Amino acid sequence: MNSKSDEEREWHKEFDAAARRSLHERMHYSFIYTYKPVMDDAPYRTFDTMEDYRRWCRENLPAYLGYW
Amino acid sequence: MVPGKSSGVLGLLVMPVFSYQQGERLAEVFNRWGVEYLFIGKSGAIFYGFPETTQDADIFPAKTEANGQKLVSALRELGYEVSAELESELIAGKDFVQIRGGPFDLDLVFAPDGIETFAEANSRSLLIDNRFPVASLDDIIASKRAANRPKDRESLPRLEAFREYLRQRNLVTLPTNPSHD
Repeated sequence: MNSKSDEEREWHKEFDAAARRSLHERMHYSFIYTYKPVMDDAPYRTFDTMEDYRRWCRENLPAYLGYW
Repeated sequence: MVPGKSSGVLGLLVMPVFSYQQGERLAEVFNRWGVEYLFIGKSGAIFYGFPETTQDADIFPAKTEANGQKLVSALRELGYEVSAELESELIAGKDFVQIRGGPFDLDLVFAPDGIETFAEANSRSLLIDNRFPVASLDDIIASKRAANRPKDRESLPRLEAFREYLRQRNLVTLPTNPSHD
């Protein structure tokens, strides 16, 4: 059994399904509110450099969010 | 609670989620103020038809003082609370600004990883549905590859498969309105 091909076949089914939906519908299903601890707890944050942003993510965000 | 997260009927929280209508509104207001910008990141890929979920809209604005001033005006018109401090930072130029207090969550990425300049990305961008300027799928993938965070590494194989899916069908994007296209 080729699991990679199975996975890609599943993806293609999802792409085929997406192709039958309008952009309006695709956006409706794609943008979902998910609370991210720490990250969503301030009205705004600014970072001088992307490295500053990455450092802040490493020092403040839980690893499971996938930012570091 | 962050401003913008309002309480709806029955006291349930109404969370701000980006929608087609909000995208239209953003594009209309940004266009009127002359903001130079592109959609990028996973939200940009969604415009191409990539079936994935995300929370916020990622915007790649040109990093100039003049564009920062236009951006401030446009954000205020859209309903974002732009304090004097945030205004000065947007105009002075930052690499990354995350805004949560507004009609929907917005990440302003002025210097996305893997992309040299706004002008270059803009030259490769696509205007989707005649209103949404979106960085090329190649640039979105290059940026995610350069960022190389766990969440990027997780989504890249599927995103690259989606790009290949489009190429095999000689498509640049999935149809925006398949019943009429």
